[in-house]
Amino acid sequence: MHPNLSFEQAPPVSVPYRFFLTAPLFGVAAGLLLAWLGESAVASRWSDGALALTHLLAVGFMLQAMTGAVMQFVPVAAGGNVWRPGLVANMIHPALAIGAGMLVAAFLVHESVLFRLAGAILLTTVGFLVVVVGAALLRTPARGATILSMRIAVFGLAVTALLGATLAEGLAGDASWPLVELANVHAGWGLGGWALLLLAGVSYYVVPMFQLTPAYPAALSRWLAPVLLLTLLLWSVQLGGWRPDWQQWVWLAGLAVGAGFAGVTLWLQQHRRRRVSDPTLLFFRGAMVCMIGLLLSAVVMALVPAIAEHPRLPYWLGVLALPGVFVSAINGMLYKIVPFLNWLHLQRLMGIGMLPPNMKEMIAERAMMVQMRVHFAAVILMLAGAIMPEIARIAGLVFAVSCAMLGRNLIQAARFFRNFRDRIRAAAPSPAP
Amino acid sequence: MPRVIDGRELQPPEPLELALMALDTLPDDEELTMLLYCQPHPLFDILRRNGYRWTETVQDDGTHEIRIRKA
Repeated sequence: MHPNLSFEQAPPVSVPYRFFLTAPLFGVAAGLLLAWLGESAVASRWSDGALALTHLLAVGFMLQAMTGAVMQFVPVAAGGNVWRPGLVANMIHPALAIGAGMLVAAFLVHESVLFRLAGAILLTTVGFLVVVVGAALLRTPARGATILSMRIAVFGLAVTALLGATLAEGLAGDASWPLVELANVHAGWGLGGWALLLLAGVSYYVVPMFQLTPAYPAALSRWLAPVLLLTLLLWSVQLGGWRPDWQQWVWLAGLAVGAGFAGVTLWLQQHRRRRVSDPTLLFFRGAMVCMIGLLLSAVVMALVPAIAEHPRLPYWLGVLALPGVFVSAINGMLYKIVPFLNWLHLQRLMGIGMLPPNMKEMIAERAMMVQMRVHFAAVILMLAGAIMPEIARIAGLVFAVSCAMLGRNLIQAARFFRNFRDRIRAAAPSPAP
Repeated sequence: MPRVIDGRELQPPEPLELALMALDTLPDDEELTMLLYCQPHPLFDILRRNGYRWTETVQDDGTHEIRIRKA
């Protein structure tokens, strides 16, 4: 059975759209930075370029888009009453963009004051978001796997920001903290605790609804979030500055949870009731294949130590996780959510006998398919960069082009909404004098 | 003769589009039946705003049967 969407609590469309339209700009910046840095960005996990690229995607692209999705999804699907969404968006949106830009600049120029400023801005902004969204999720009368998953995801975001700000302070000064372990745990909470759990919670709703699949098995949707939380708590043991041997099993278990979710999603897609493929479905399929690829890579690492110690292996894993899993899934989700929101908001302005234009007119299907091909070409080229670093520059350029095309497609949809809304308002009878 | 829209195999917002078109020509003494795998809250919002009433029953296979008529 599909879940329920309540549209009466929906925020103004400008609230999610500002985040959705900003995210691709950071994707373009990430692509251009990779094209500029080339092999040096690929060489090591700890290079300035690799860290800057990671945060352009994680904070610039993913956090922007996911914040927009949360601001829309919590009131509509989770029944949570977000406090003054317009005001919150006015404050969070520019702060996230400035914080992301400053953090990336800090990695590239190694300026202590930039690390401290970026850490303070992002911690304050994410803290505010966590309080507002967390309060809405705690107060909602709704229950179920999506609510649980989103609550733990928001907790995961808080932990990620706290660890991130600690790392920024560590990089700004000469603190003798275990920075490698801090970074491992920060990445685990960011990708597993926040991003994967949010993706899973939203997928429980939108995959069956938009892709016409059966519902996710109750056992999976009930247990995925608590098991992942336990895994992350065990992973966090290394914050004590030591890494026992069993941590390798925790790492594998976390990736197995993600791969399990991906495998079930692919199985559901294979059993969808109407066998139509659209860009959203294909983007999701690619994201899930990359998620399974992460587990397979980790298994190979466990079996072949020489591969595990290769300096470009973290780059390989990073490409699979960031552009491969999360940028793909977000990209596909945006292509369904934005036209759907356009349609619903326009319909609210019209009477019973009038229909908004078809969703397919809001972003041309062909434009989405072309962008999708460019995106997956970029992911494959970036992965190949782990083996042939000399093609990293080309991969970066292709990724920048893909994100620019995504931005153009989303702007087209937003313009469509604005133009049609203005026509409806112009045609409405003037109030009696 | 009751009108029926089976939206179970349709992608949103197609069931809503069909419902809006059907409601536009629905005589006052007839009802429109919708079959869906979800509660269509956006439709309920529209019905509430435009003076319709509805009943909803959930079948064993998860189908929501929604019967709509003019209030």
